[in-house]
Amino acid sequence: MSQPVLQIKDLKTQFFTDDGVVQAVDGVSFDLHPGETLGIVGESGCGKSVTALSILRLVQEPGRIVNGQILFRGDDIVTMSDDEVREIRGKDIAMIFQDPLSSLNPVLTVGFQIEEAIEAHRKVPSKMALSRAVELLKQVRIPAAESRVRDYPHQFSGGMRQRAMIAMGLANAPSILIADEPTTALDVTVQAQILELLRDLNRDLKTAIILITHNMGVVASLCTRVLVMYAGRVVEQGPVERIFKDPQHPYTWSLLQSIPRLDSDRHDRLLSIEGFPPDLIRPPRGCRFNPRCQFRVDRCLHDDPALMNVGPDQDAACWVTMRRALAPNGELRG
Amino acid sequence: MANRTPLLRAENVVKHFPAGLGTSVKAVENVSLEIYPGETVGLVGESGCGKSTLGRLITQLLPVTSGNIFFDGVDLTKLRGEKLRQYRRQLQMIFQDPYSSLNPRMTVGDIIAEPLENFGLLRGRAKDQRVQELLKIVGLNPYFNNRYPHEFSGGQRQRIGIARALALRPKLIVADEPISALDVSIQAQIINLMEDLQKEFQLTYLFIAHDLSVVRHISDRVMVMYLGKIVEVADSVEIYRNPRHPYTKALLSAIPIPDPEVQSKRRIVALAGEIPSPVNPPSGCRFHTRCPIAQLPTPCADQEPPLEVKARDHRAACFFSEKVPIAV
Repeated sequence: MSQPVLQIKDLKTQFFTDDGVVQAVDGVSFDLHPGETLGIVGESGCGKSVTALSILRLVQEPGRIVNGQILFRGDDIVTMSDDEVREIRGKDIAMIFQDPLSSLNPVLTVGFQIEEAIEAHRKVPSKMALSRAVELLKQVRIPAAESRVRDYPHQFSGGMRQRAMIAMGLANAPSILIADEPTTALDVTVQAQILELLRDLNRDLKTAIILITHNMGVVASLCTRVLVMYAGRVVEQGPVERIFKDPQHPYTWSLLQSIPRLDSDRHDRLLSIEGFPPDLIRPPRGCRFNPRCQFRVDRCLHDDPALMNVGPDQDAACWVTMRRALAPNGELRG
Repeated sequence: MANRTPLLRAENVVKHFPAGLGTSVKAVENVSLEIYPGETVGLVGESGCGKSTLGRLITQLLPVTSGNIFFDGVDLTKLRGEKLRQYRRQLQMIFQDPYSSLNPRMTVGDIIAEPLENFGLLRGRAKDQRVQELLKIVGLNPYFNNRYPHEFSGGQRQRIGIARALALRPKLIVADEPISALDVSIQAQIINLMEDLQKEFQLTYLFIAHDLSVVRHISDRVMVMYLGKIVEVADSVEIYRNPRHPYTKALLSAIPIPDPEVQSKRRIVALAGEIPSPVNPPSGCRFHTRCPIAQLPTPCADQEPPLEVKARDHRAACFFSEKVPIAV
């Protein structure tokens, strides 16, 4: 396999609040290969967005990266100077956010903001920047790009604003695009358009994509690999087909069982995960999922599991794993 | 279903909001529907289609511009004052955002007791007991009645909102996106709770949501709305297997299925553009500007297709419904 373009090693990001230290990201490691589409899924507060912000060193006070390495083509972003990070941000690694309206400046035209993104990293004549902005808007399929380039964000619909954000992200042909819940604020028909756009950009430009979402369906339609996060940790990771077909961590399994599927005619009761995600100032002892896990054994209460290989290219942090939990002979009991 | 008396019947309901300079937002346009006792009707559509407005018209939180809403045979739009208030008891609402729909300065007990007080139903010990009973019914600790909303998680707050809606023993509950602000693992808890409560108290639900997979799971029948109009009504199996309106078809195909194998084989019916403005909706069929099978200009741009029976218990508003491809 090719050299990873990004390697995260034992990343810990914490927030130093008045109530205590929130262990938002607690020892996350993963590799991203060129051109890959990696999904990071989990519920709010699981650390998926903080992981993304850490990659670009955008974590705000009182948050801080306290441990680990973020290697971009071998260089550690964690220890870089602010100038060096700024050089990478928006040029090699770009990010788009959930709410395009609050990420765009309302008093500047869309075109101006895209030109700004280009000029932040290259000295180009303003005419060239403008024509590049038009070209980018065309690439993200904004109709009549030549005239829309002079529009203000409020003149764009929600879907078009997200396209404009993507155009801005692509301005410097980054090798990595981080998309944090890019379709959550959009209607499903518009979501489908944006996902198709991201899929085409990944195919045509070979941009690696890290897609952060809580929506399992979105992951299934765009990603080739997936990380499942819970309470600041990666609890399972692997190829998307394996994770959806044969999840080994009880959290992944429960999450998939708890969402109604459009293509199911059966009206079975949904599986519900009891309780709610833990407080990350005082996370539970042992496995962090144990208070909500219906398959826990004694060991889970005090012994914190690390990621272990559970299948081809698939790892899960669980002492039990679903293979044993669902085994008919009930080897679990006792 | 057809020969039973509906619990609620809306007839040609219209709601326009003034939008300045003599224009108006045509939020709901000539909608007629029936809801039968004990069933769950799902109402889906994209943002701005008028589904929430319709929910508020039905619960009498908004007055209609024109049209009639019959509840148990009585036209609510003709009632005023105390008479209307007494009917309102039977129509309750659950809201989307459990953060903004609970008063942060009131204890949970007071929030749940408020409807009881408004109608002067219970006092003192009896009231406290009823509040505790309601907390227990929705799966919360009955001794939490002295706590404030901020002490609860999103899912727990939604349970409080449900307890409040149940306080007056309503017949019909309109739930407007009750789970879309909640985390995935909590959504199933609330759906299951709503299903249990329906059985226990013979409730009738109008379940409003944008997520067709959730709506299909919980509903007996599904109504699809587009730009102020109901474009299709059918039972929840039929609407998925055999959609008769191209918009329904597009909506179904756009929802990603959490299964990469299935998802990779699906074909998405891409819709051009986005939902047009309800201030100036397109002529004829309102969907014609985005429709993949529209015949323009005649009839789709100059005639409005009626919502008519296409199969047993299945109505759709499309001139070419037989051309809507079947497999999703």
